[in-house]
Amino acid sequence: MGLVRKPASAPPEEAVPEKPSVQTLLQQVHDDDPELRREAALSLVEVTEAVPVLLARVGVETEARVRDAVLTTLAAHDTATVAAGLAVHLASDEASLRTAVAEALATMPGSALDLMPDLLAAPDHDVRVMTAMILADLPHPDAKTWLLRMIADDPHPNVVTGAIDALLPAADAGDAPVLQAAVQRFPDDPFLRFTVQAALPRLTGTA
Amino acid sequence: MTSTSTGSALSDADFERFTEYFYKRTGIHFTSAKRYFVDKRIDTCIRNSSYETFLTWFAALRMADKTDMLQQVINELTVNETYFLREDYQFDAMLSTVLPATLAARGGVSRIVGPVKILSLPCSTGEEPYSIALRLLEEWEQIDHVDVEIHGADIDSEVLAKAAHASYGERSLQRVPKSWVNKYFTAVGAGRYQVDEGIRSAVTLHKMNICDTAAMKAFRDFDVIFCRNVLIYFDELSSRRAAENLYGALRPGGYLFLGHSESMSRISPIFTPTRLPEGIVYQRPTGAK
Repeated sequence: MGLVRKPASAPPEEAVPEKPSVQTLLQQVHDDDPELRREAALSLVEVTEAVPVLLARVGVETEARVRDAVLTTLAAHDTATVAAGLAVHLASDEASLRTAVAEALATMPGSALDLMPDLLAAPDHDVRVMTAMILADLPHPDAKTWLLRMIADDPHPNVVTGAIDALLPAADAGDAPVLQAAVQRFPDDPFLRFTVQAALPRLTGTA
Repeated sequence: MTSTSTGSALSDADFERFTEYFYKRTGIHFTSAKRYFVDKRIDTCIRNSSYETFLTWFAALRMADKTDMLQQVINELTVNETYFLREDYQFDAMLSTVLPATLAARGGVSRIVGPVKILSLPCSTGEEPYSIALRLLEEWEQIDHVDVEIHGADIDSEVLAKAAHASYGERSLQRVPKSWVNKYFTAVGAGRYQVDEGIRSAVTLHKMNICDTAAMKAFRDFDVIFCRNVLIYFDELSSRRAAENLYGALRPGGYLFLGHSESMSRISPIFTPTRLPEGIVYQRPTGAK
């Protein structure tokens, strides 16, 4: 007993198991074994023909860990097709699915921004709240511009508050007028007012 | 202006081309904030090559499948400075909570099947896996009753060679008690000490890219993984993939330690955060969903 080296008779760690064919992986995405589904989804990275199968899987997958693997592989494609295919789930009744999809879209700077005109016009304000979540983490210089637009124009106070929360880490003194205008637009919303009033001194250097 | 081996900086376009290529091959993303660092390291690579300009060097790197060239760039651009017993409150957590829980989950000392497996990824020049070995040998009372495998892995082949040699200077060893140095190291001259053969031979080293899902499938059933201060170098998507690969390398119920400034909550929801007296550790869930 004690510290032991991996036995010489055991297969070396570098001995990578032979990778199944794409066709096999596409079948394994639907296997009964969730760990097999998860590994298959991860192994389909950069396989373009797998995109429709994986997109279809997002809405029906019941295991969160498998769904996250599917989303990780899909997000790497960062195409308009994938972004649009994921965005439909932002209106899902399932909170964990909405959030998982928003997190995946936030890693897609090449395509997520193209969704913004439609997402900001979505009639369901919950979809617009999720859109603010996406913009909060999206590594793209235009994300802030879209957040400012939401704060200035969106008619729902929860959306505006969400956009303000998303903006604040990147906000500066130049954004103060937009925030103050939001308070004026929703004078009866104490939470929004508090959020802005708490942030303004830091932004304007009067803290 | 295009870089030459005389030390001039890369053009913005060249910097973008290179960082995009490097990201695709390794998952490591350098922003413009790291511009000076990247410029200097690439210049070193060009100077050490037979190419005179960035363009010819980069063309060779991309077109000719020069894995040795790529490895050299990886070696230059990955940060490897570390020391023994760094952030050792996490080793405290391993000894006081994680390993007892692991033994309990695996049936106890008398019924456990197979070794307890611990992975240090990235292991850099070996300080972390050897620190784990020292803490186990000196402070874990079950070490005489349980087999423990320690593995170290890194993307950088040069640091792995240094880890295998396991010779360290006094700065690297400053947190190691003198009695431990006397017990487990051999002076090899010029203020350097080599880890004794018994420990060196017990640590298995591997070259591994944490973002390479296919390669990472070789890592299975680890009880504990230390993956500290590396995810901060990755963008969101690479971090997610690394997290997925770490998940696959852990036994259900296994534990993952990240660096003190890192949080899995910003990367992936697939782990269960567990608050220990010494800080947060992440667990691969044992059940479904």
